[in-house]
Amino acid sequence: MPLHDTSYQHWEGAHLGLWHRRWTIAQNGLRACLQNRWMRHLVVLCWGAALAMTALLFLAGQLLVADSVIVQWVHNLSPDLQVFASMLTTWLEQHPEVSVRTTQDVLFYYFGTFLMTVSIFALGLAMPLLITRDLASNAIIIYASKAVSRGDYLLGKFSTAFGLLVMTWLGPVCAAWLVGNLLAPDWRFFWHSRVPLFHAIAYGLSSMVILSLLALGVSASSLKEKSTGALWFTWWIVGGVVAPIAAHTKPWLRHLSFNFNLDQLALAVFRLGDDLKIAQDNIPIFGSMLRNVRAETTAALNNPPIWGSLVGLLLMAAIAAIIVAKRVKPE
Amino acid sequence: MSSSPVIETQALSKVFGPQRALDGVNLKVAPGAIGLLGPNGAGKSTLIKCLLQLQPITSGSAQLLGREVGREGREIRKRVGYTPEQDCHIPGMAGCEYVTYCAQLCGLPFQAARQRAHEMLDFVGMGQERYRKADTYSTGMKQRLKLAQAIVHDPEIVFLDEPTNGLDPKGQAQILELIQSLWKAYGITVVLSSHLLQDVDHICEQIIIIARGRVLVHDTLENLKAPKRGAAEVVVASRQNDLQAACEQRHWPCTPLPNGHLKIEHKSESLNPLLNLMHELKLAPLEIVPSPNALEETFVQALEMSHAAA
Repeated sequence: MPLHDTSYQHWEGAHLGLWHRRWTIAQNGLRACLQNRWMRHLVVLCWGAALAMTALLFLAGQLLVADSVIVQWVHNLSPDLQVFASMLTTWLEQHPEVSVRTTQDVLFYYFGTFLMTVSIFALGLAMPLLITRDLASNAIIIYASKAVSRGDYLLGKFSTAFGLLVMTWLGPVCAAWLVGNLLAPDWRFFWHSRVPLFHAIAYGLSSMVILSLLALGVSASSLKEKSTGALWFTWWIVGGVVAPIAAHTKPWLRHLSFNFNLDQLALAVFRLGDDLKIAQDNIPIFGSMLRNVRAETTAALNNPPIWGSLVGLLLMAAIAAIIVAKRVKPE
Repeated sequence: MSSSPVIETQALSKVFGPQRALDGVNLKVAPGAIGLLGPNGAGKSTLIKCLLQLQPITSGSAQLLGREVGREGREIRKRVGYTPEQDCHIPGMAGCEYVTYCAQLCGLPFQAARQRAHEMLDFVGMGQERYRKADTYSTGMKQRLKLAQAIVHDPEIVFLDEPTNGLDPKGQAQILELIQSLWKAYGITVVLSSHLLQDVDHICEQIIIIARGRVLVHDTLENLKAPKRGAAEVVVASRQNDLQAACEQRHWPCTPLPNGHLKIEHKSESLNPLLNLMHELKLAPLEIVPSPNALEETFVQALEMSHAAA
């Protein structure tokens, strides 16, 4: 015999709005993703990388202070490095805006592409939890019978993927920029580094939107949890392998790889060629180092095949949207 | 309680390729416990899905709780509960988490959703197993969980698609009792879709018989049973032969049934003549079922007419 009243009770409270229901779907998806131990490790890895990035930004900032421990320490190392550090310090002192921007652009480019790799891996782990499991278990009918539409459901699931990428990508980028510049010797670093931050956010956000859409498409493509995860990783790895081979035979084939396309997007957004040119002009030793770089690499940095990549990414996103529209139905 | 129709349809049709699942369905259903009967593939589930907008309507129109289906989907579903026929839990979620989540999807704040989830799980008779993952539940527990998620947001109408499937007789009786109480005690309109006549007979006041996508019968159970009055199924503890002999003396056809009951055709509108006879014989009835099989006969009759018309 129950000790409390087990009869039916009517509920007379007020209902929360539509955005709350969408947020509930996203939040539930994120919680399910983070229940995976490997996913938690990946998130920690990304925030660890943010810590390392902060340390790098701190070191770059310290080069501006002539009597700092870092400068003293570098001076005690090899003579070449000593010359390089001296020139960098001089450059930083004379043209702080250009030098901070260039240094941070390069650092955030590498940081962003590293986080992209980890994020793609994280999405692979999350793949079954996005849509596959709901389709396989008929839970899609439950969503459809509640006060949410198909659009609300998809927006919630998109937010799950996007939220995951915020944790593994955008969050670490913004945190590293903020803390790295807080530790800089001059408040003006915040202003000088606005362009690298803008580049990092523009690249991060556009890639995150595309990756989230692609993830939804792959997740909706099958009812088998293992299949969708495997499809994502296969696409990623095969694309990564095929892209450099195809460069010498059929260059358009490279655009079938989403990570190749995203790499080109990064090069186009960060415009590293311009940054390296500025550095080359201002630091002679750096200029002589860059002369050894192959012409193909320089060309790839200066003129990434961005239009092909954009078309490739848009086509992929459109196909993903069609798959989602076809598959995500209550019946 | 409002008696305005909860469900209204006008020439509602649903076509799947060459197959017409619903064929010009016209209905005006008052609140209550409504039984939706029909053989497998009759269109019962399709009708429910069209009303809930899980399936788009091909032609015609429908109103649920006074709102136009197809235009105000979210608002309608906020006031409607649904238990699908098949399993539909979210893998990896514990029972109470699942019901809480379903309440949140209907717009309840988290605290209220969690409290309601526990209240509804109590109501459907789930104990500590609510903290276990729903993947590990037995069929009976899954049916209870489905019922809990359907009523957790306090709907005005709840659609139950074969809610007793896969349950043992005791479980069936418990679930039917709960469903019955939803209308009788708490005023929630229940639409019970089933091919099990005894389930519908047990709890419903209105009957809709549907076959080949068409509504064959829509009436109250009382009206449907009226022509079949004058017969009863009687169970007595002893001296069944005496009762049989007395009935034969009165020219009341009396047939022993395989389950040990006696079917007596007393040819009267009320049970009084039969009760008087038993009183005279000093026989205490264990059970009297008036108009037995009335629904079954109506159902079969309707289906036969439908076949003949086709």
